[in-house]
Amino acid sequence: MTFKDKINSDQFIVCGEIGPPQSCDGDVIRKKSQYFKDIADAVNITDNQTAMPRLSSIASAKILLEEGVEPIIQMTCRDRNRLAIQSDLLGAAALGVRNVLCLTGDYQTFGDNPEAKGVFDLDSTQLIATVAKLNSGYLLSGREMKKAPEFLIGAAANPFAVPFEMRLIRLCKKIRAGAHFIQTQPIFDLELFIKWIERIVEMGLHEKIAILAGVMPVKSANTLLRMRADVPGVKINDEYIQRMEKATDPQSEGVKIAVEIIRTVKNLKGIRGVHIMPFLWESIMPTIVKEAGLRN
Amino acid sequence: MHSDLVTYDTPPISERERRFSRFLLFFEDLIKVPIFRCQHCGECILSSTGFVCSQRCPKRLRNGPCGGTRADGHCEVFPERWCIWYKIYMRSKFLGRIKLLYKINRIHNWNLERTSAWLNVFKKRIDAPVLFVRNDKEYEKLDDFQRQN
Repeated sequence: MTFKDKINSDQFIVCGEIGPPQSCDGDVIRKKSQYFKDIADAVNITDNQTAMPRLSSIASAKILLEEGVEPIIQMTCRDRNRLAIQSDLLGAAALGVRNVLCLTGDYQTFGDNPEAKGVFDLDSTQLIATVAKLNSGYLLSGREMKKAPEFLIGAAANPFAVPFEMRLIRLCKKIRAGAHFIQTQPIFDLELFIKWIERIVEMGLHEKIAILAGVMPVKSANTLLRMRADVPGVKINDEYIQRMEKATDPQSEGVKIAVEIIRTVKNLKGIRGVHIMPFLWESIMPTIVKEAGLRN
Repeated sequence: MHSDLVTYDTPPISERERRFSRFLLFFEDLIKVPIFRCQHCGECILSSTGFVCSQRCPKRLRNGPCGGTRADGHCEVFPERWCIWYKIYMRSKFLGRIKLLYKINRIHNWNLERTSAWLNVFKKRIDAPVLFVRNDKEYEKLDDFQRQN
């Protein structure tokens, strides 16, 4: 059963995320993929995450396919113009990749090459429309292809950043451009997230698109504090920071928080699955999934 | 199906027209640069973005804010600046032009960079500006999605 079939069915979806290394060591991906095998329905592979050069997401996806894990490649607009995006997408489709998450991308000054030229030829909405057009059998130039790719198109949504209404408008645009599923930013503010999803259900958007809630297990209070300071658009409740600071074993407290969030969002109307992002902590994935009761 | 969002079917620009475009751009700049800080994309979408130039965004986003807007509404890249899409939303709400934010802006045609947007509208290369919006109150409720699809 492919990820596409699962999205189209009613089952609860679990996605993971792997960050490729900053080296050419493919074994890192192979090792990390074992934590997701038979647990996650599909695994995101970040594309030069935090604007640092890493092993390419399409190459990593090929390794995952060999390991029997279904990949979702992330595609950012920061590093490619429309020519490169089309050729990379066709290349990925030829290698057997079936899922793509369309992102705008972190700005280059956040990474280790702040002097770089950011491309941003397309934005994420236009990238979704581009993939949809490739799916329909045409290149951007209007030329017909002999064989069309069949991508399942993902998009990101941030329920926590201002202006909130504009976020919903943008989500509507992404759906209209042709997105099939949405992955949200990591939830560290349940109250706001519940308000957001209620709004989505009210508008009926949850029937048009599968929404996967983002969950990020963290190892220490420091990680949360650093995220709050350095990652714009992430909202972290003081409650979680205090809990992590007080805990004698911060790692198990981190797991506990993640499991709690998963259990809450699982019962919300409009949520079709979770997207777990164990940033630099892939080994914790089986524990979280088991404790949250998502898989036996 | 979504070809209208991404394709261009624009007539080529002749040398004569380019010259005229440059001439016109001088006068366009006199107005648009001081008032809107125009970035000369040649594909003006000012009317659909509450008359705030979206091209002042560091990522030059044409379809809404990236995920990084700070809690105070400032830009993730330059914390001292406003997120331009935050300003666009606020201005659109103030002017009653929320409806226009739903429009998906097409991929930027870089051939039109540094050409006169006025001439491009006249030559039907880009959409004409929308001057008046009616019944925007309904759109503020964000339930128009059903109507559009």
